[in-house]
Amino acid sequence: MNVKKFWIPVVFIILAIFPPFFLSQYWLHVMIISLFYVMMASSWNLIAGFTGQVSFAHAAFSGIGAYVSGMLAVYLGLSPWLGILVGMGVAALLGLGLGYLCIRMGGIYLSLTTLGFSEILRIIITNEDRWTRGTMGLQVPGFFTEYSKASYYYLFLIIAILLLIVIYWIIHSEMGLTFRAVLNDELAASSSGINTIQVRILAFTISSAMAGLAGGLYGHYLMLITPDIPSLGQMFLVLAMAVIGGMGSFVGPILGSFLLEILSEYIRIYGEYHVLIFGLVALSVARFAPEGVIGILGKKWESVWAR
Amino acid sequence: MSEFLMYLTNGIVMGVIHAISAIGVSLIVGIMKVVNFAHGELYIFAGYFSYHLSISLGVPPLLAMPLSVFFIFLVGIGMERTLIRPTYGDEMYSLIITFVLSIVLQNAALLIFGPYPNKPPNLISGATNIFGLYHYGNQRLLSFFISIGILVFIFYLIKKTWFGKSIRAVSQDRGMASLVGVDHYRVNMLSFGLGAALAGTAGVVIAPIFPVTPTGSSAISLTAFVVVVLGGMGSLKGCVVGGLILGMMENLGAAYISTMYRQIFGFIILILVLVFRPWGLFGQKTQ
Amino acid sequence: MGTIVEGKGLSKSFGGLTAVKKIDFYLEEGEIVGLIGPNGAGKTTLFNLVSGIFHPDEGKLFLNGRDITELRPFEICRLGIGRTFQIVRPFLKMSCLENVMVGIIGRNDRNRGRAEIGREAEDLLKFVGLDGFEGTIAGNLTLIQKKRLEMARALATEPRAILLDEVLAGLNPSEILQALALIETIRSKLKMTIFWIEHVMGAIMKASDRIIVLDQGEKIKEGKPEEIVSDPRVIGAYLGETDA
Repeated sequence: MNVKKFWIPVVFIILAIFPPFFLSQYWLHVMIISLFYVMMASSWNLIAGFTGQVSFAHAAFSGIGAYVSGMLAVYLGLSPWLGILVGMGVAALLGLGLGYLCIRMGGIYLSLTTLGFSEILRIIITNEDRWTRGTMGLQVPGFFTEYSKASYYYLFLIIAILLLIVIYWIIHSEMGLTFRAVLNDELAASSSGINTIQVRILAFTISSAMAGLAGGLYGHYLMLITPDIPSLGQMFLVLAMAVIGGMGSFVGPILGSFLLEILSEYIRIYGEYHVLIFGLVALSVARFAPEGVIGILGKKWESVWAR
Repeated sequence: MSEFLMYLTNGIVMGVIHAISAIGVSLIVGIMKVVNFAHGELYIFAGYFSYHLSISLGVPPLLAMPLSVFFIFLVGIGMERTLIRPTYGDEMYSLIITFVLSIVLQNAALLIFGPYPNKPPNLISGATNIFGLYHYGNQRLLSFFISIGILVFIFYLIKKTWFGKSIRAVSQDRGMASLVGVDHYRVNMLSFGLGAALAGTAGVVIAPIFPVTPTGSSAISLTAFVVVVLGGMGSLKGCVVGGLILGMMENLGAAYISTMYRQIFGFIILILVLVFRPWGLFGQKTQ
Repeated sequence: MGTIVEGKGLSKSFGGLTAVKKIDFYLEEGEIVGLIGPNGAGKTTLFNLVSGIFHPDEGKLFLNGRDITELRPFEICRLGIGRTFQIVRPFLKMSCLENVMVGIIGRNDRNRGRAEIGREAEDLLKFVGLDGFEGTIAGNLTLIQKKRLEMARALATEPRAILLDEVLAGLNPSEILQALALIETIRSKLKMTIFWIEHVMGAIMKASDRIIVLDQGEKIKEGKPEEIVSDPRVIGAYLGETDA
């Protein structure tokens, strides 16, 4: 790693310490939600952007994390700190099971099955309202006895940074090389001794576990868990953040998450239109600039440097 | 007993409509290796078109149906030309694009048509006594016979006509097909249009029985996907058999087990297929 | 010298078309064996069977006496059969160094740091004459460079036998000479068995110890190069082909 590459994230992390000192409670909330989306979009990017597999169950796995941890806290009195780890474990196991079943049949099967899984999970949560409180939402305890947005901000910041370090480490490790080999050319990777199915299942499991962790955090921050967390609408937002920011790049989904979350605060006044607007933008980006905002900026910078 | 037969008949009627919808998905997967996640939305749009054409504009229902299907066919062609064609060979982007499109269309439907279910007028009223056992709604019977007619037409189109032969040539070997003079761009475009039109057909046929709502679209797509996986990707026969199996399971299950979990039967079938026979009933085991 | 790879009665058909029909073949350790035949003779299909991309409908495959018929490509690769592709398939969006590193990782022998893998990959790039291209994205290479890169990636998996599918096609005469020198080095220095498909007749006749001729999926002749060129059936098979 060269010096510049090392200092840029350090500067960002230092800058990230200050927002609680000057942001209003409202904007601090927006920042916390953005950090949740950073975790979601970056971990989704790990499978979609780095192995080329499209999972539509990422929001569903975050819902698994939220509901497992939330219900453990409500019904068994388990501490949320342990609960989110259990939730992450359950998400990982379900990811492993689903991945094992459909990945050997190819990418299309994974997309179809994960979409089905999301819908079924939503139906079960809505219908089993004796346990989940259905669409009313399940009230769960928070992490801290004394509620303060600043502490949640720092909690989300620290976990998001840890998660990003893990993702960075994965994509720059030998494992990351095998991910990209599978993305580039599955047949050639297989003929070069890479167990492509194992690689794809591994990526899917890791990514699903990360979604479970993010979902657990999110649930205990909101303190009210609803079927909106594992909904396809939420899935779409995460996907749009990764696509618009730039899939297959480390920074893209981080940028996309802040961009869309902050933007959606401004266009919220237009009501339902904001999903439609994001949809149309995501569609045009996927069609005309598949490398996203990062790709466009990257080209700009390159041409400036070349001059 | 007659109650059971009634549910079974409902299952068969739904099964045939599932089959039409699933063939729409299967055709596109088989030829282009693209899954159209906006399938359910096209189905919903067709239902709404036929409603508004006949109720708001006063077009006779029998004319409103084919008009709506034709319109969806054009939408399908437009989708293929503008969004899908550039993604050929990149499975990931086609999945992402059709998924985003489904969200866009679903929200557009909410804005245009509102969240309320709409039901086009029945073509026919009354009920018929079936073999002296039970009474069955004439509208359902008519929808059933229209669906059978459409299935026969699709089989004829794909097995006997030049277009069908080109489709099969392209789905087997794109390179070879172009060597013998098949323009695979045109075949892709027309098949995508046809796939969309089939979604629309299922939509207009079912709308008088079960009113369409914008939020119901993902369930419709999922049903079609389950049928395609159950029958085997790219197999027409599989779609018909799979559609009937799912239709009957759903109706009998909803009647005797739980109505709330109608959707879940489909997902259970999907998982069972993936565990025991992942290539489906009539699919080809690759390699 | 023992037999390293052996195929017995291999058949494979696609739809109604038989691509490979009851083929027996063997490769001795350290041998260079050429595989020739007109277009559509089933040469690449045979390679795909040996490397596990397809499984034969009938017949068995052995590697050092072990049955590998039903193994998947990565397992066959790890057991010691490497390959290149007729239409080159490097990892286009990865650097040359990363391409070769994937091959090293594919061996699946652990306890090796990333730095060490990188050094080994550099050596392999140097071996195929791609030194200085470590950071270049594979998609930006010329055809001959891509072919060399594929060869380096295949060598990185440390195969005992390597299948080369038309590595000379599209090269000019001086490039062919360089490539032939490289193949000879692979055999003499790395002691690998080479099984190769080639349309450049002069080269394959000169460099091979033994030649197998396929026509319409069947083996019509096998022998030393000088026996092949004079065989009337082989000549017939080639003359019968219009676009040879």
